[in-house]
Amino acid sequence: MKTFSVKFLPDDKTVQATAGKSVLEAAIVAGIPINSVCGGDGVCGKCRVIVKSGQVEAEPNVFLTRREIQRGMALACRTFIQGDLVIEVPLESRVGGVPQLASEDAVRFGRISERVGEGAVFARNPLCRKEYLELSAPCLDDNISDQERLYRELRQRRDLPIMQMGLAILQKLPDLLRKSDWKATALLGHRGGTTEVMDVEAGNTSQKQLGIALDVGTTTVVAHLVDLQSSETLATQAKYNSQISLGDDVISRIMYSSTDTRRKQLRDLIVNDINDLIAGLMMASKVRLHDVTYIVCAGNTTMVHLLLGLDPANIRRDPYVPCVSLPPAIRAVEIGIKINPRGLLLALPSVSSYVGGDVVADVLVTGMTDSPDLSLLIDMGTNGELVIGNAEWLVCCSASAGPAFEGGGITCGMRATRGAIEHLTLSAGGAIAEVSIVGGGKPLGICGSGLIDAIAELLRNGCIDRRGRFVETACGGKLREAESGEPEIVLFPGDQTALGKDIVLTEADINNFIHSKGAIYMAAECLMAHVDLSFNDLKHVYIAGGFGNYLNIERGVEIGLLPDIERQKFHFVGNGSVQGAKIVLLSRDALAYVQTRIADAMTYFELSSDHKYMNEYSSCLFLPHTNIEKFPSLRNKIGAGGGTPAAAPSAGPRRSATAGSARRK
Amino acid sequence: MTMLEEAKEKWTGAINEVVIGATKAEGGTRAAGVTIGGDKSLPFMHYEAPIKNRPIVALEVWDREPDDWPQPLMEALGDAVKSPVAWAKKGIEEFGADLICLKLMSTHPDFGDATAKDAVQTVKAVLAATSAPLIIWGCEHDEKDNEVLPRCSEAAKGEKCLMGVVTEDNYKTLVASCIADGHSLIGLSPIDINIAKQINILVMEMGFPANRIVMYPTTGALGYGLEYCYSIQERGRVAALSGDKMMAMPVICMVGQEAWHAKEARAPKEEAPDWGDEKTRGLFWEIATAVALLEAGSDILVLRHPAAIKATKDTINKLMA
Repeated sequence: MKTFSVKFLPDDKTVQATAGKSVLEAAIVAGIPINSVCGGDGVCGKCRVIVKSGQVEAEPNVFLTRREIQRGMALACRTFIQGDLVIEVPLESRVGGVPQLASEDAVRFGRISERVGEGAVFARNPLCRKEYLELSAPCLDDNISDQERLYRELRQRRDLPIMQMGLAILQKLPDLLRKSDWKATALLGHRGGTTEVMDVEAGNTSQKQLGIALDVGTTTVVAHLVDLQSSETLATQAKYNSQISLGDDVISRIMYSSTDTRRKQLRDLIVNDINDLIAGLMMASKVRLHDVTYIVCAGNTTMVHLLLGLDPANIRRDPYVPCVSLPPAIRAVEIGIKINPRGLLLALPSVSSYVGGDVVADVLVTGMTDSPDLSLLIDMGTNGELVIGNAEWLVCCSASAGPAFEGGGITCGMRATRGAIEHLTLSAGGAIAEVSIVGGGKPLGICGSGLIDAIAELLRNGCIDRRGRFVETACGGKLREAESGEPEIVLFPGDQTALGKDIVLTEADINNFIHSKGAIYMAAECLMAHVDLSFNDLKHVYIAGGFGNYLNIERGVEIGLLPDIERQKFHFVGNGSVQGAKIVLLSRDALAYVQTRIADAMTYFELSSDHKYMNEYSSCLFLPHTNIEKFPSLRNKIGAGGGTPAAAPSAGPRRSATAGSARRK
Repeated sequence: MTMLEEAKEKWTGAINEVVIGATKAEGGTRAAGVTIGGDKSLPFMHYEAPIKNRPIVALEVWDREPDDWPQPLMEALGDAVKSPVAWAKKGIEEFGADLICLKLMSTHPDFGDATAKDAVQTVKAVLAATSAPLIIWGCEHDEKDNEVLPRCSEAAKGEKCLMGVVTEDNYKTLVASCIADGHSLIGLSPIDINIAKQINILVMEMGFPANRIVMYPTTGALGYGLEYCYSIQERGRVAALSGDKMMAMPVICMVGQEAWHAKEARAPKEEAPDWGDEKTRGLFWEIATAVALLEAGSDILVLRHPAAIKATKDTINKLMA
């Protein structure tokens, strides 16, 4: 088979590829992160590239306009190599950049940091920790073995009935103890009732005990380097999950992982991401990799399966059974993660195929299981998860909200990275009054929080009706017909944007978003009804997920995403996965708690089995809701038959919008 | 023996009253208007609340001769189907319909593509030929309706017609016309109580009065979703009586259109020898559907067969007695 060279710009990377392979496949080999929501099925239209020169064979598609095709634009997954190529990957098609770290904002939600340590709920006792020992030298009166000597010393300090030591440690033990003058540090790992001496180091290294809390998300991967002695976070790193190039959501990745080779490919991608993040943490904090001995990760069930190299196929097959819900602690090196070669990796337990360790971590972070108060947790994302309960009980469900919150399925949608419109205020006629863009500069696209703002503001100004359709007379000439024939509003004309391309919002975009927000609200309502309670019974509503952190509550209520209850009941959790992983990293008690009080205590409620869901779903496909009486505080603003909604924005959103701008660097 | 107390539902809401047709004194040319709605209980529960206005029956009249209606129906209607004026006149004077539902079928691009001007002439002629109230129904092709119906609305200004239909995707043009010309409106929703309500809200947010809206939650004939439509209508009515003002609109049902679409109504004798007399089969199908939907709380039944009009009116009389 003929091979050709494919050069990618602006990266200037060249790879060899056989004829007939797709440009997307070549890009994956080259390590160029191309956005491919559908995983190469040719149905999302996001993997746009420009063929600068060379011979290709392209399948026809509906995503590109005639003008774009004339400019050489092509879909990477539907364009096949027929000669030496030069391919440009435009900014909009890159899974690039660094995601926004939500954790800094989570500090506002002060309870997290108070969960571990003296006087807190959980004692600081990591599952993996170091113990400095000064052993007495052997003599004829005391000539027990080196191993027994070490055990004896440890047992004098702690109650450790069962201890183990591997052959590799034994092999180096005699020499090490004698050379270090019987002063050594033992690295201990606890599994069930057994304590393993994982490593022995010469001298006192007990001051150097580091762990990593990891959030393995479908979209983003976040790592925090934590000093296990002081609980201090030394550095943080985040990046997009490289598996995105093989599928945007868990289902498409499960489908992709159908063979051993592909499963390995997926695992390698995430493991490389994690190793990259760890390397970044080391650089930033100037510590030694050798001192990192423990990783705790939280992720949804599928992501944990893919990380551990387990077959996730049954997760999406009736009756939806995962391979494991409580994965054992393993050596990180076994799956290729580079920390101390003896170091452990632990994944938080999951509840079911669709309620994973990430949700368990969220619940841990909120502390809702410590209190008799009724709380609702909403983790917003492509697969939304909701948990309701208190110290006595927990019920959860998952809601497929679609990718709109992360910018998917939206013409100018993007994730919350540099260039994304994060907050927006409009004035009459849909003119931009205030805008804040991640990282500043010109806008590139619009992310979830920006969409919420845009839709809420269009509604406030009467530019759209409550069904999400444009009202031509109120759009001040900003409305036009898209190439597809549907109406769209131009938020930013090309001369004000980063790519010189208009940033628009189409009726289909608004409609997609309404379906997403409707799915979340409906799930919350069904969950409440299932336990025979109402939103007014809630004392707290916790909003988790990277997207949730930047969400403007007032506008979230205005469009019917969030229930209309007192605004002070809402709290942002930020990245609950990484915070929860951190708590477990620091406390073995927290691990037991997570298992018994959260994962085991949670009852999964299948929404699709609920008649109410299908009957009432269409009532949520309205702004804010068909039954306005469910949104009493909005009644005066968008009163029944009260004409167009009030145009003046209330004080609430403004305040939050300022806070949002201040957060950006 | 102790007396059992009569169990009565205590409703807090009521169905809106909608008036169709205006007399000379009211600015129109009708002999009398007809009022629907006003119920304060489930249908025909006389002991709970007096029923103010009885359900009414409209004759479905087309502006072009139907070419696929079954023979027994065409025979019953006779030559009148050749002219909407004669058809409407016969409907009121001979068949006993309370009002006419004029469907502007010929304006549809696929069925003649008649102009707005043609439609206006038909509307004017029908209004001149009878003094009964009029329902004006477009061809349900959004663009064409938006062109034709505003002109018809203007031509019938002051007559307090009932005009339709508006949907979630296409309502602004017709709502604006009906506000200007004083007509009432029909909101179409595809057997979905939420969408029915959403249309009412959208229309009212344009400033349209609630007491000029009639809901068309779509109709299913006997054996073709009747029970589904029945329960949607019933749910709507229960919501309205429970105080949901956004669901308090009276309901119109296209019974004839659906019943005569059923295989059982259409099949000629040769195709279904065991199904009984071809002459009455379709008629019975229409009557059965109409009578069931009366019980669901329909306010206007639009029928096709003269005998179905008579039978349905007889049933209404009995239920009201």
